[in-house]
Amino acid sequence: MANSNTKVIIDIKDLSISFAGQKIIEAFSLQVAYGEKVTITGRSGAGKSTILRCLQGFMQPEAGSIHIAGKPLTPDTVWAMRASLAYVAQEPDLGTGGVREIIERPFNYRANHSLKANLSRLPEYFEIFNLPLDLLDKEIALLSGGEKQRVALICAILLDRHIFLLDEVASALDQTNYQAVAKYFFSRRDLTVLSVFHEPAKYDFSDRVVELPYYSRGG
Amino acid sequence: MNITEISLGGLASAYLLLIFPLGIILWNRLPILGQTLLAIVRMTLQLLLVGFYLQLVFRQNNYWLTGAWLLIMIGVADLSIIRGCGLKMARFTGPLFVALLAGAGLPLLFLVGLVLKKTFLMEAQYVIPIGGMILGNCLRANIIGIRNFYESLRKNQKSFQHMLGQGASLPEVVRPFLRDACQAALGPTIATIATIGLVALPGMMTGVILGGANPMTAIKYQIMIMIAIFSGTAITVMLAIKLTMKSSFTAWGVLDHRIFKV
Repeated sequence: MANSNTKVIIDIKDLSISFAGQKIIEAFSLQVAYGEKVTITGRSGAGKSTILRCLQGFMQPEAGSIHIAGKPLTPDTVWAMRASLAYVAQEPDLGTGGVREIIERPFNYRANHSLKANLSRLPEYFEIFNLPLDLLDKEIALLSGGEKQRVALICAILLDRHIFLLDEVASALDQTNYQAVAKYFFSRRDLTVLSVFHEPAKYDFSDRVVELPYYSRGG
Repeated sequence: MNITEISLGGLASAYLLLIFPLGIILWNRLPILGQTLLAIVRMTLQLLLVGFYLQLVFRQNNYWLTGAWLLIMIGVADLSIIRGCGLKMARFTGPLFVALLAGAGLPLLFLVGLVLKKTFLMEAQYVIPIGGMILGNCLRANIIGIRNFYESLRKNQKSFQHMLGQGASLPEVVRPFLRDACQAALGPTIATIATIGLVALPGMMTGVILGGANPMTAIKYQIMIMIAIFSGTAITVMLAIKLTMKSSFTAWGVLDHRIFKV
């Protein structure tokens, strides 16, 4: 539990989720403080990814509530909240096209117009995450899973997101690249990271590990 | 030139031509004899009924009867499109009806009023055949367009959610899907326009020529109708997607999967 005098940025209360008639999550609560790095762990199918989907408003819980930065997650607030969240999937589906085009695309959305200048920092982040710059001219489909994950991370960082939801993000990364990602997030105390992992070896990613009990099945 | 009237006996003798297909079916013992006979009976009855009704519509030539016929055509097109797209009727019938009404109505009014310069805009002689041709073509284009749009959204759910997650608004996320759907829907009409007259004489031209008009008149009508079909198709596809979208997403901006039949 986040210390009561630190600012809570993610507040999940008594979350219950069923899928196809089966309970996946029951009365799950979690508070994440601003800048904290928290990992949710649990066996495959315990519903870890489902929690991340709920935080983005792509799935609705049966009971319980979610507050982000003090505001309740509702159909009205979800649009603004999505603009503060970054979700990076195990196998990110970034659409089709060239890598540069994929990275630049979200800056054309009205909500991100003011962030266009951030694109000048692209080479810097490619270096931090060990990606060669000539990757920018490749088709996204030709990239490996690990490369796609890092492209998605860079994109989210350039979009000035401050809450990162990482879904098994280290699964496709080798040790060097995994360390690069972990090192970057630990160097940014202003970024909050909620990650889900099922491999014990990756627990060192965070300040705190929360184990999710296994109910039935889920994603 | 005037069209030669077909006598009842003459029409009956046309049925004699069926000896060939029926002979081939019987000779090869194809299991489609019943289906063929039923199709021929249905065609005869349907066209006779339509013929009687149209005779009445043409004789009366008033707003109500012509309008009712147009609305029936739109209604039938509406239901066939939704069925062809594999979508649930209840949510889509209304919005699609509006789209078809606009897509058929606008080009029709334009042609009858501005091109043919008729003061009576519901002139049955023009409104019914031209309306039918526009709607018939809208049917195919809309099935392609609407199905392409929703199936593609369903298939690319992850990248759709990725875009939402990156801060896109619903219109922004939908734009690439809408673009692809419109292109797929309009493609066949553009191909038809490009090859018209070379591959086959279009139905309308054939009709006008058979009706005794000079081929240049027939061509002018054909050009007019192709433009009307193209514009009607574009209006309907775009409007149909825009209007059905309103009830196809949840308040959270996620595609509502209950719109699909399967």
